[in-house]
This record gives sequence, structure tokens and C-alpha cells, in this order.
Amino acid sequence: MANTFSNFAIKGLTKVGNIYCPKNDEFPAFSDVAGTYKLNDLVRNVPSDDFSSLNLVLAIFAFLPNFIINWIISKCQQSQANPSDGIIPSTLRQLNIGLRGLCYSIYYSEFNNPDFKGKTPLQVIDYSLNRITD
Amino acid sequence: MIYDFIVVGSGSGGGALSYYLNKSGAKVLLIEAGHFYRKDTFPKTEAETSAHLYWGGGIEFGKDGKMGFLRTKMVGGSSIVYQCLMDRFDDIAFNDWKSESGVEWFNNAEMDKHYNQVESDMVLHTFVPEERNGNAKLFVEACDKLGYKWGNLRRGQSNCGAEKGNDCIGCLGGCFRDSKQSSLVAFIQKAEKEGLEIITETEINKVEPGNDTCKIHGLQNGNKVSFEGKKVILSGGAFGTTRMMTLSGFKSKFPALGKKFASHPQFMWLGFQNEPVDAHKKMFQAVASKDDSFRAQGFKLENVFASPISIGMLMNETGAEHQRLMKQYRYMQCIEVAVRDENVGEIMCDNKGKLTIVKPLTDQDKTRRNKGLQAIENILTTAGAKEIYKSNFYFGLHLMGGCVMGTDASKSVVNPDFQVHGEKTLYIADSSIYPNAPGINPGLTIKSLGHRLAMQLLK
Ligand SMILES: Cc1cc2nc3c(=O)[nH]c(=O)nc-3n(C[C@H](O)[C@H](O)[C@H](O)COP(=O)(O)OP(=O)(O)OC[C@H]3O[C@@H](n4cnc5c(N)ncnc54)[C@H](O)[C@@H]3O)c2cc1C
Repeated sequence: MANTFSNFAIKGLTKVGNIYCPKNDEFPAFSDVAGTYKLNDLVRNVPSDDFSSLNLVLAIFAFLPNFIINWIISKCQQSQANPSDGIIPSTLRQLNIGLRGLCYSIYYSEFNNPDFKGKTPLQVIDYSLNRITD
Repeated sequence: MIYDFIVVGSGSGGGALSYYLNKSGAKVLLIEAGHFYRKDTFPKTEAETSAHLYWGGGIEFGKDGKMGFLRTKMVGGSSIVYQCLMDRFDDIAFNDWKSESGVEWFNNAEMDKHYNQVESDMVLHTFVPEERNGNAKLFVEACDKLGYKWGNLRRGQSNCGAEKGNDCIGCLGGCFRDSKQSSLVAFIQKAEKEGLEIITETEINKVEPGNDTCKIHGLQNGNKVSFEGKKVILSGGAFGTTRMMTLSGFKSKFPALGKKFASHPQFMWLGFQNEPVDAHKKMFQAVASKDDSFRAQGFKLENVFASPISIGMLMNETGAEHQRLMKQYRYMQCIEVAVRDENVGEIMCDNKGKLTIVKPLTDQDKTRRNKGLQAIENILTTAGAKEIYKSNFYFGLHLMGGCVMGTDASKSVVNPDFQVHGEKTLYIADSSIYPNAPGINPGLTIKSLGHRLAMQLLK
């Protein structure tokens, strides 16, 4: 069965996305610019048990207050420098990469919310790529 | 139908091997788990590249969540996304292979003819000073000041369109000009024209070698399929081949199965310059360290860069601090150290086929990493970086070992003839047979070993 995020998971991801990528100076907020319509396509090859865990964690985030999500994210960040191979730091490290990967894949991409009218993050960082095919 | 040869996996090893076997007129089948993309169907965005082309939908992690591993699933395997830097091994690498494995022909004199053949079947280009972009110029100038030796890279490419303003970093998601000499371009598409049969989206999970033929079984779009060949050669890469062998029950026969995994752990640091560097523009990788003292110390420096999502992933910061760093994307100078690591890692597979990778950094690995990072810091500082971002995220692109070659069946999985010990009809030709980490880009040697096996099978 195809990996499909629940509506709660998308709500949770949007909250996480706004912590990673808030509205700040020229940068738009994740929730304003992210083309969440692309999300399911970006996880289509993730093994289904890994996807189910991610979907569940994000759905739980939808119900948590922001200060608790902030606390979890800071624990994830700290786990990156934690030398322990224990199950908790190992899981937090994977969550850290998984959440960042998903948020940045949408935020620094061409897949924007069609209603968004401002400068996209790729425009803010002045990124352009010439693809010359002939 | 019984094929003369069935090759499972179409990456650097399998692509070259099937080309050479097919050339002889033998009936060859190439089976690949992934999709068949071509130059005009590769994903066009960084987000889709990771999500669609890589196993696991992006990056796979070791059990401790510290190190990420990258390997792709499509016709051409990891050669579709590789940078195609084509280096021969030096005597240090072959001597270490020989002493680890007992295989006498691991030396440059024996491998020379195979390197020559593969090189003549690819278009190779050595970069010249005019092709250096901002990142390369900063690297070269700082290395010269510090007395570090560097060299122009040799890359497989035929027509990158740099003079027309093409930015080559885009081809990390598959070359849309058929210039980069992936296995697809250099071997598979040519063999296809000469009648090579290719079956895609078919994942092999079991091999059953017999005396006269070898049967293999797998899933194609959820349906069970089986094939039979007089000889079957596994080329699924370090993870893929180890997985097939473990699922086929070989772990009890070969204690070495899954062992001796190495991956050249890579650490990327960024230096922020006052003027735009535009490391993502033009030929984004033209030079690297070529310093005997670095080689002796067990590391090398690559002058690389990456697209925005990957650069963002290097940073552990969130919010405004993350955005402050990313705002300087065009001002980033970037260098990475690749460590010649000890082969103490292990690739494990449960009976459902789920992989678990254990890959600790040993004290020696850490010493080598630290020496390399110190050299990077020296270069970035000498180049005038106003700030250095020291990422602690690391990853492996060169996945090696798991089914290593050797003379002793208690310490290896394949014999010096690439044959699974004691099995007449089953062979392995890919990076899984590497006895230890060479500390050199592995791709050219994987292809050349494929050529050696083809010559041997066709004798
Ligand atoms: C981003 C990146 C950059 C790199 N740059 C360089 C470079 O510049 N120079 C260099 O020398 N090396 C480079 N490498 C490394 C190089 O690409 C690999 O070492 C090499 O391709 C490994 O070859 P292989 O044949 O062992 O495996 P792969 O090329 O990974 O091929 C294995 C193939 O087998 C398929 N497969 C696996 N399991 C099964 C199964 N059960 N059934 C069917 N098919 C299966 C896979 O889908 C895959 O297509 C790079 C790698 C990456 C990821």
C-alpha cells in the first residue's frame, strides 16, 4: 500500500516545519511556502514500517503544544553530538535527520504552495541552476 | 529458458560485467530491482532525486543513527548519481588487499589490462585550470600556500556543455546529457543495442546454486518470479548482495558473510567567504588532494559541494540560525575529508530482509578523521573564510565488503575466481567483494574487476 500521510501528520509536520524554518527576515514560514501536496510522493520509497512510525510521530505532534515540540527537537539536536549508541539517542538521531530531511526537501524545493506569492527559500538564498540539455 | 549468464544488479559492477559478457554473443540477462530511467526521465529536482532514486527513499542509517549510507536503486545503480571520478588503485591499496585476502593477483601488473580495457570503453577527461570554479580556485590557492599537494581530477564525461553554461551539479541526480560515464551510458545502453536482455523492477531474494545451473527467485511488481542460468553473478552492491546471500541461507556456511564492511566515512565542512564562491556552478568538482603524506595518514580531501537540501542537512541548527547559515549558500567554500576506514562494520539482515548496519568509527578512524579535518580547517582559514561551519554529520558513499574475496573460506565468501566458495554456478562481482577500504574512489576498480570476471567466464 502506498505511503500516505494522515491529515494530522501533515498538521504536525507543518508545526515542526515552522520551528525549523520560521518566517524570518526574507525567509517565508514553512507553513506559508511548503507545497504539502508533494509530501506523499517524497516518501513513496520509504520502507512502510519506517513510514508508519514517522506518520504516527507527526500525528502526535499535531496535538502537542509548541513548547513540547521545541523541547523534543532540542533533544534531537543534542543527540547528534551524543557519543552513546543507546536506543534513545540512536532513535532521536534518526528522528532528527528524518524530520529535517522532510522539512528541507519541501522548503528548499520547487514544490511550493501554489497560493504563495512571495520570495521562495531558493530565491532568498539566490540559488539557480543551469540545465543545458542540447 | 536457461540463460548462459544472469547478472543481478546493474550498477558499476553489474553494468560493466553484463556488457562484456553480452559482447561475446552469450545469452545474458541483466536483472535490476529499480526503475529504468533515461537522460530525459531522470528527476529534475534535488528533492525528487533523493526520494525516487535512493534505496530507503533517501538516506539509510546505521543502527546507532550516526552515519548515513547512500546507494541507489535503478538501472545503472549508484553509477547514475556518482561523480564519476575514475581513479586506479595504487600499490598501497593492492598490497593491503593482498595481505588481507591472500589473493595473489591483487596487484597493478595483473589489473593493468583490465583497467586499460575499461578506460578505453569510457570517455575520460582530466580537468584543466580553466575549468575550475570558485570553490576549486580557493582550494588550489590555499593548498599551494600551505604546501599541500593537489591534483586535477580525472572524470568520465563526454560532453558536459560547460562552455554553454551548464552546471554539472545537476547530474548528481542522473546526467540529462548522457555525458557522465555511468554504467548506463558507458555500458548498458551499448549492450542493449547489441541484444542484452534487461528486466527491471525485479528484486531477487533467493539464490539456489546447483551443479549445472543456478536458480534465482524474487518479486516483480509483487508477483513471484524465477529465472535460471548456467552461471549467476550477483552484483547488487555491498548491501544488496549481502542481503541476497543472507536471505539464501549462506550465513551458516560463511561466518564472514556480512563482515568486513567499510565505507570511507566522509565529513564536510564549510567556510564562509565575503564574496560569492558559487561552488554549485560550472564543473563543481575539478581538483582534490594528492598528497603522499595525507595518503600515509589515511585520508584524502575532496573539493566538493552539494545542492541546498543536502547542505541544509549538514547543519544541526534550527530556525533563524539555520536560515542565517543557508542565506550564505552562494558564499560557501566546501571541502570534505574521506577517511580510509577500518573494515570492522557489519551488514546484517533478518529473515524478512530488513538490513541493520553496524559501523562504528574506530580510534584509528577518528585519528584519521581529525587529521583530515585539521587540514580542512587550515585550508579554509588560509583561504580567508570569515567563519567555518564544522558539521558533525557524516555519511558513506563507498559501500564495500560484506562478501569479501579471499583464499580462506572461513574468512571470506568468494574465492580468487569470484566464485562463492564451493559453488560452481554462483559468482559475485561488485563492491561487496572488497577485502578492505582502499582509500581511493572504488568505481573504476569495480568495473575492472567485472571485466576480469567476464574474461575468466568466457575462457
Ligand atoms: C553520490 C555518490 C557519489 C559517488 N562518487 C563516486 C566517484 O566519483 N567515483 C567512484 O569511483 N565512486 C563513486 N561513488 C561510489 C560508487 O558509485 C559505488 O562504489 C559503485 O557504484 C558501487 O558499485 P556496485 O556495482 O557495487 O553497486 P551499485 O552501483 O550500487 O549497484 C548495485 C545495483 O544492484 C541493484 N540491486 C541491489 N539488490 C538487488 C536485488 N536484490 N535484486 C535486483 N537488483 C538489486 C541496485 O538497485 C543497484 O542498481 C559515489 C557514490 C555515490 C552515492
